Amino acid sequence: MSDRIVEAYIGEYASGKSESAINRALELARKGRKVNLVDLDLVEPFYTLRPLQEELSRLGLEVIAWKTEETVGLGEAGTVIKPAARWALRRIGDVILDIGYGIEGARTLNLLEGADEDPDLKIFAVINISRPMTASVADIVAEVGTMGHVDGLINNTHLAEETTAALVQAGSRIVTTAANAMGLPVIATQAEEKLAGVIGPVDCMGNRVRPLKRFMPKAFW
Amino acid sequence: MTVAPVKEEKRVFMTGNEVVAWAALAAGADIMYGYPITPQNEVMHYWSRLAPRYGKSFLQTEDELSAGFATTGGVMTGSKAFTATAGSGSVLMQEPMAMAEMMRLPTVTIVQQRGGPSTATVIYSQQEVTLTTMGGNGEGIRVVYSTAGHQDLYDYTIKAFNIAWKYRFPTFVLGDGYQAKMREPLTIYDPEKRGVKLLQPDPFVGKEGEPGRDRPPAQYRNTYNLEEELYEKIMSDMKEFEENSADIAEYESSYTEDAELVIIAHGIVFRAVREALDNLRQQGLPVGAFRPVTLRPLPVGQIKELVARVKKILVVESAYGQIARLIKEKACGAACEIHTMFKPGIGIAAEEVEVRAKEILAKQ
Repeated sequence: MSDRIVEAYIGEYASGKSESAINRALELARKGRKVNLVDLDLVEPFYTLRPLQEELSRLGLEVIAWKTEETVGLGEAGTVIKPAARWALRRIGDVILDIGYGIEGARTLNLLEGADEDPDLKIFAVINISRPMTASVADIVAEVGTMGHVDGLINNTHLAEETTAALVQAGSRIVTTAANAMGLPVIATQAEEKLAGVIGPVDCMGNRVRPLKRFMPKAFW
Repeated sequence: MTVAPVKEEKRVFMTGNEVVAWAALAAGADIMYGYPITPQNEVMHYWSRLAPRYGKSFLQTEDELSAGFATTGGVMTGSKAFTATAGSGSVLMQEPMAMAEMMRLPTVTIVQQRGGPSTATVIYSQQEVTLTTMGGNGEGIRVVYSTAGHQDLYDYTIKAFNIAWKYRFPTFVLGDGYQAKMREPLTIYDPEKRGVKLLQPDPFVGKEGEPGRDRPPAQYRNTYNLEEELYEKIMSDMKEFEENSADIAEYESSYTEDAELVIIAHGIVFRAVREALDNLRQQGLPVGAFRPVTLRPLPVGQIKELVARVKKILVVESAYGQIARLIKEKACGAACEIHTMFKPGIGIAAEEVEVRAKEILAKQ
């Protein structure tokens, strides 16, 4: 069995895909693994890991993303996939993919060479129940249902600085119920480091808790 | 059977464009007409995703001229109609919105400012102040709210519909690309449950009865034959606008009572000013802050009172003097020093405002 970890983070707009991908990549890198973090967000290439790539490189990640100065008319003039991102699955080491939002984002995986035959590729949908589009079990089932193949859900319920452990747990109950309804596993519940400490290693539904460090507030445009 | 889009008060996490779509639903909007332009696209995306669930409509037109005119047509049929645009799209919308001014049509337009002139950047600026307050070939017979974050976007989008239908002035909600794309928590609510009565639209055309016999004829003109006719029309509209200005105008102010320097900003820049103000006050410095929430009509009384009383003001904006021009006009004749900090097309951080404020205070 392959030891290689290949994960794509998809989900609703502003659900926390980039934050999830960054933190997962860093978690793996801290274990001494070689990790490629790939920006495949062609839907909205502004609010992504592009502005963070230097910081993330310093933290030991191989970051595959356009540099701001390499792009023209961000978003307005269309987005060109970076060749290194298109061939990312052929790279040595783990591959963590940050995908654009919604159905169009999920479709971006079609542009990834070898995506349909990679035995290790897992696609995780990131869910925050504080977002009205994915607030209830029915909403989540409907939303994830539009996204094509999904291997698991991630509970990323939060309200930025206002997040409480109770909110994260409420998210876990709804996300887990939705996952059960779809026959999918919950891969993790994510919470900012301090809150993760309060919740403990597993949440109220028995899902593993992944502590998050927030990078995205620094990623604006 | 349609259900209320926002049943109970709830803390949520959204981007600004989504907030606008939800607010329009909560305000009872019937239809959005739009044409894509960054950074307002997700207003359309979310509205068109949500609309079918609540029995609402959406029409994508071939450009902003037709989106604007379709919005005027929508309100004339008695629909709560709105549109959203930015930058060059907003330039095109001035033609239909000038007609809305002339015909006193209660259109609601969301403007998410991007860089200018022309297509410039898709990102952010505060360079659509002049355009949004005074665009078109007329006298600016319109209401403009400038928001400073997601709660404002929600509250003032809802309010815009009521103000538009109450006074029949085209109404604008002026956001920007930062607010459009940034994400933060806010409370969504059903305005009627908070005691806000949502005005019901009534049609301008196609009314019951025979015109001239059962009711006055519905004649809405944007063309007048004689100068005197136009003069009478404009003077009557301006009189009405000015008589209602004090009721419509809104502002926010803090620590201005004992301030030597008052920092003036609008929109998202005021968030940096608030933060700078907290730091400056903690250092014991006599600084205050003032934010016009309505850029048209401006809170004229408060601005005049302020400039008559304080020694110095500092106007801060992500444009090269667009809000400053409006403030200076109202400050005309006052003895206070007017300082400016213009950063067209880029964001302004609290630290830079703080540094500038200290420099100005230090100067005798």
